[in-house]
Amino acid sequence: MEAAQSDPAKFDALYELQFERVYAFVATRVRNRATAEQLTSEVFHRALANLPGYEWRGVPFAAWLLRIAANAIADQFKRAAREFPAPDDPPEPAADLDLQASEIRAIEHRAQLFRLVGQLPEVQKQVVYERFVEQRSIREIAQRLGKAPGAIKQLQLRAVQNLRAQMAGGHG
Amino acid sequence: MAKRSLAEQLDEVLQAMLVSLRPRPEEAPDRNLAALMRVAQELRELPREEFRATLKSDLQRRAIMSEGAAAPPARTGKAQAGAVHYQRPGLTSITPYIIVRPAAQFIEFLKTAFEGVERMRMPAPDSSIMHAEVAVGNGAIEVSDGNEQYPTAPAAVHLYVDDPDAAYARTLQAGATSFYAPTDDHPSGDRWGAVKDPFGNHWYIAKPRGWTPRPEGLRSVQPYLHLREAHKMIPFLEAAFGAEAMGVHKSSEGAVLHATIRIGNATLEIDEAHGEFQPMPCHLHVYVPDRDAVYAQALRAGATSIETPQDKPYGDRAAGVKDAWGNSWFIATHLGR
Repeated sequence: MEAAQSDPAKFDALYELQFERVYAFVATRVRNRATAEQLTSEVFHRALANLPGYEWRGVPFAAWLLRIAANAIADQFKRAAREFPAPDDPPEPAADLDLQASEIRAIEHRAQLFRLVGQLPEVQKQVVYERFVEQRSIREIAQRLGKAPGAIKQLQLRAVQNLRAQMAGGHG
Repeated sequence: MAKRSLAEQLDEVLQAMLVSLRPRPEEAPDRNLAALMRVAQELRELPREEFRATLKSDLQRRAIMSEGAAAPPARTGKAQAGAVHYQRPGLTSITPYIIVRPAAQFIEFLKTAFEGVERMRMPAPDSSIMHAEVAVGNGAIEVSDGNEQYPTAPAAVHLYVDDPDAAYARTLQAGATSFYAPTDDHPSGDRWGAVKDPFGNHWYIAKPRGWTPRPEGLRSVQPYLHLREAHKMIPFLEAAFGAEAMGVHKSSEGAVLHATIRIGNATLEIDEAHGEFQPMPCHLHVYVPDRDAVYAQALRAGATSIETPQDKPYGDRAAGVKDAWGNSWFIATHLGR
């Protein structure tokens, strides 16, 4: 923290620690990937711009970031309501600035899962990104990775089992 | 029924989940599978690796710039093309690049008149502004004091704002002169006013009413080009940038009264120069997936080269061309490092 305040270039160390948490939070509130990316980007840019002022606030860095994120999400809902008023759609969830403990736990859980994906064996990781992020079919992934569809399904299973085991371990 | 492997079973429920719009998967048949599905459900929100890396490098660059230290070293051209989104975060496919002096005062004007938010400022060694970026609404305007290669060039910009009357009044307080106050009688159907700022830029300040072209949301900032023989600009933009004319209104003599043209996720507008709205050759910053190809296409379509494609120290690969009307187009692809 001190390093980042005295040297903005050290901000990237904080980024490594906080990226998954912020993204997990934003992604629970907005369902659209492009918006989630835009807001996550906005949060870190705002945080970088405001680091010198941070020391005045007596809250942990993660909470401060999530507060910035909650504000950015609220702004986004206001903008969206203004640009695309759609009375037939269900209302977006209100951006509640006070996070409940249960929500914090859910965010931490999801952030941890995202981090663990990065530690999977390379080919399992690849399958996870292809399947869940790119939303490719088994057949397409099989072609891209030069493997049989059955092998991709096995890798998919191993990856999810691995993640499940590690998450269970992490939570005792 | 033959017993299928767990891998098959998981994939079956997973496939159903991935193609479903429902927030939760169907209840999985057994407990073991249900636990795996809960993990899978959360993986749907997994962030893209490229996004994570691009944002990090963008923040690093921003941090370095705000320190005034040297920019990170240039990279070689072919690295990771396609691995990152081709637009620099915060910019759309088309951004007006306004070169006026003193740029610092112009930035203040943008803040005062249009509630602009300065996102970036890079000083040149002589303390003039080499490059700055000001967010306006959901778009941005790039600003520079310019140099010999890129001289002063005010521009015309169509701005969508929440309250055109208030924005119009603020521009006058900040030293702009009025073409006309916001009116409901503008042919676009929008409430629309027009001013010229102290730096020579035109601002068409409007609030949308009714239908407006919106490729991916209404853009707050749209460059507006007044041209002689404007109708020839449309095939040029189509050939050079793969642009799409989204609404072309012509007079009975064939002059373009108004056209909206889309490139990527943004639009610009053109019309035939008339009255007080004469050509103002300006600079435009265009992000494309493959700048080298677009640069070559632009030359084939009749543009002349200002700068061949090069890797820039700020993480873009960029080229420059000038069109037959004298506008400069910076053609860039964000490399993300």
